[in-house]
Amino acid sequence: MRFEGSERYYLNPELREIVNISIAMEKPLLLMGEAGTGKTQLAFEISRTLHLTMEEARCKSTFKGEELCYVYDTVLRLNDSRFGGGESGRNVNDIWDYLRFGPIGRAFLADDRRVLLLDEIDKTDADTQDNLLDVLEDGSFIIREINHKVAAKQRPIIIITSNAKRELSDPFLRRCFCHYIPFPSMDEMKTIVGLHYPDFPDPILNASLVTFYRLREQGFEKPPATAELLDWVGAMRTSDTKAPGAGKETRHIGTLLKRSQDLLKFKGVQRSGRL
Amino acid sequence: MLPFILELRQAGIPISVRYVLEFYRALQQGLAPDVDRLFVLARLVFVKRVEHYDLFERVFGAYFLGKGSFPEDPDWKDLLGGKPFEEWLRDQIAAGKLPPDALRQFSNEDLLARFWETLLAQQGAHHGGNTWVGTRGRSPYGHGGRHGGGIRVHGDSLHGTAQKVIARRNYVDYSDKATMGRGNLRQVLASLKNLQAVGPESELNVDETIARTAKNGGEIELVFARELRDRLKLVVLLDNGGYSMMPYVELVRTVFGRMQNQFRELKTYYFHNCIYGTVYLDPARTRPLPWERLCGGGQERRLIIIGDANMAPSELMAANGAISIYTTERKPGREWLRELKSAFPVSVWLNPIPKNRWGLQSATIDQIGRIFYMEDVTLAGIKNAVDYLNIQGQAFRAA
Repeated sequence: MRFEGSERYYLNPELREIVNISIAMEKPLLLMGEAGTGKTQLAFEISRTLHLTMEEARCKSTFKGEELCYVYDTVLRLNDSRFGGGESGRNVNDIWDYLRFGPIGRAFLADDRRVLLLDEIDKTDADTQDNLLDVLEDGSFIIREINHKVAAKQRPIIIITSNAKRELSDPFLRRCFCHYIPFPSMDEMKTIVGLHYPDFPDPILNASLVTFYRLREQGFEKPPATAELLDWVGAMRTSDTKAPGAGKETRHIGTLLKRSQDLLKFKGVQRSGRL
Repeated sequence: MLPFILELRQAGIPISVRYVLEFYRALQQGLAPDVDRLFVLARLVFVKRVEHYDLFERVFGAYFLGKGSFPEDPDWKDLLGGKPFEEWLRDQIAAGKLPPDALRQFSNEDLLARFWETLLAQQGAHHGGNTWVGTRGRSPYGHGGRHGGGIRVHGDSLHGTAQKVIARRNYVDYSDKATMGRGNLRQVLASLKNLQAVGPESELNVDETIARTAKNGGEIELVFARELRDRLKLVVLLDNGGYSMMPYVELVRTVFGRMQNQFRELKTYYFHNCIYGTVYLDPARTRPLPWERLCGGGQERRLIIIGDANMAPSELMAANGAISIYTTERKPGREWLRELKSAFPVSVWLNPIPKNRWGLQSATIDQIGRIFYMEDVTLAGIKNAVDYLNIQGQAFRAA
């Protein structure tokens, strides 16, 4: 099983090696890096090119970890015990009819190998992260209500992403393969844009990239990233713009800068001083 | 491969036995057929933090590719333009070994040369030697040595006498993980955590529901409870610096270490003596947090200030009273504190100085006590502070 990238996704050769090593070693791969470096996209590409089903968990700060494995629907069972399951076919005496499995549970129970994506793990608590890693490392979890152990039939390929909003704990890092994805260089970025807009003329693209990287260096609250660049190029393409413009004349600036304060700064409006 | 791994360790990358086993397992699987892949594999297995990437690359380069030696010869330009030199210079000034007057007499080249000399000599760091730079030696170059004067390369000064705090020397890193065994304190702080159940009653209490339903003869009665998760947001402002706090460092550190474990969302910022419009994100007080961000986070947050409130009256009462010579803030500290109080209606000031000495110690304690409810860092004091916060918090929610 080797992952080789695809025609729609630019894969850095180093990253390709890293993915393949993680797959071979069956270790979770933790991808760090700022937004727009293609962390999440990578998991989708792995699932697409290797023809594996994807199980996706977008983390929230309220997660305790267990709901990613399973949820026991007590209310439904209580309701069925009082009013009957009707035509649903649920048997109120059978707890399995009231267990619903989350992404991790589904990935473990599936007969085929799956890709499991834990997106933005840094949003969750440190406790949750540690619990999850226990589960992922053992390849099993316990349904507490019936003390039943669910073990993975096939170890999923686990991709974890983090925007590094919060420091991850050392034990967590120890259990993963960690890779920090740097922001793409200008040449790489050219390839990436080329994959999305193959017909975009080269000279305009080069000029746009210069403007783009210059903007990134100006210390905006939210510097434009790959997604913004692609929007921008898309906007220029549709409006048939012949030059990206420079400085304050930059076209379609709204696609690059999203925060109003950044826009004000860009236009040279001073923020009102401290009162 | 083992010598390579040892070198990584020596370079300061934390390596566990588990990594080594993993590494060998990967080698057995033939995952490193060439140097490039060996590089990727080794980095993946051994390096977990982006901060260590550079270190790893240098060790790898030295070991497998023979690029330079590690530690590498420092690059002239990088060195002189860079941070070490700045730090060296600042240290010199802070320690009073290069008074600003004398500084003017040296040309830049002279300074750089002196620095370069000490650094070159330091290659192969000696500790306790007689000639070269190191620690605790008798050479004029070094740090903590017994020779008067001379150049100190880095390290903290042992005998600081500066009246005004000039460089960043004078802070103690409170976030030190040193834990202490005062279990009772932990309980007090835990009580603060538990008492503050906020948020909607949204979680089904299954046991209670079944019990009530059974009592009702099978008619379902749903009982909801508050989610156990604590939603309490707490902001801690910590006075970390200056000689006036030094005697209380141990005490405060205990409290601080406890709090770190007890809350879901705990933000800690640092200040020095009194607050003048800025608090800092790091203990060294280099990354400021704008006042609006501190105060604009919502009034439901609790605020605990830990500081001795012991300062020169001018710092509190006078315009331009700030202790830092770089501050041009004109509003007196008292005004800033009042603003803070209105941004955090539920707040308390914990003072490491025992209550019975407040009157004797300083007039400013009394002044600040009029703005913030103040307690000392004894068990009783903390209990009082907790009660106060809870009562205030409830009153605030009711309002």
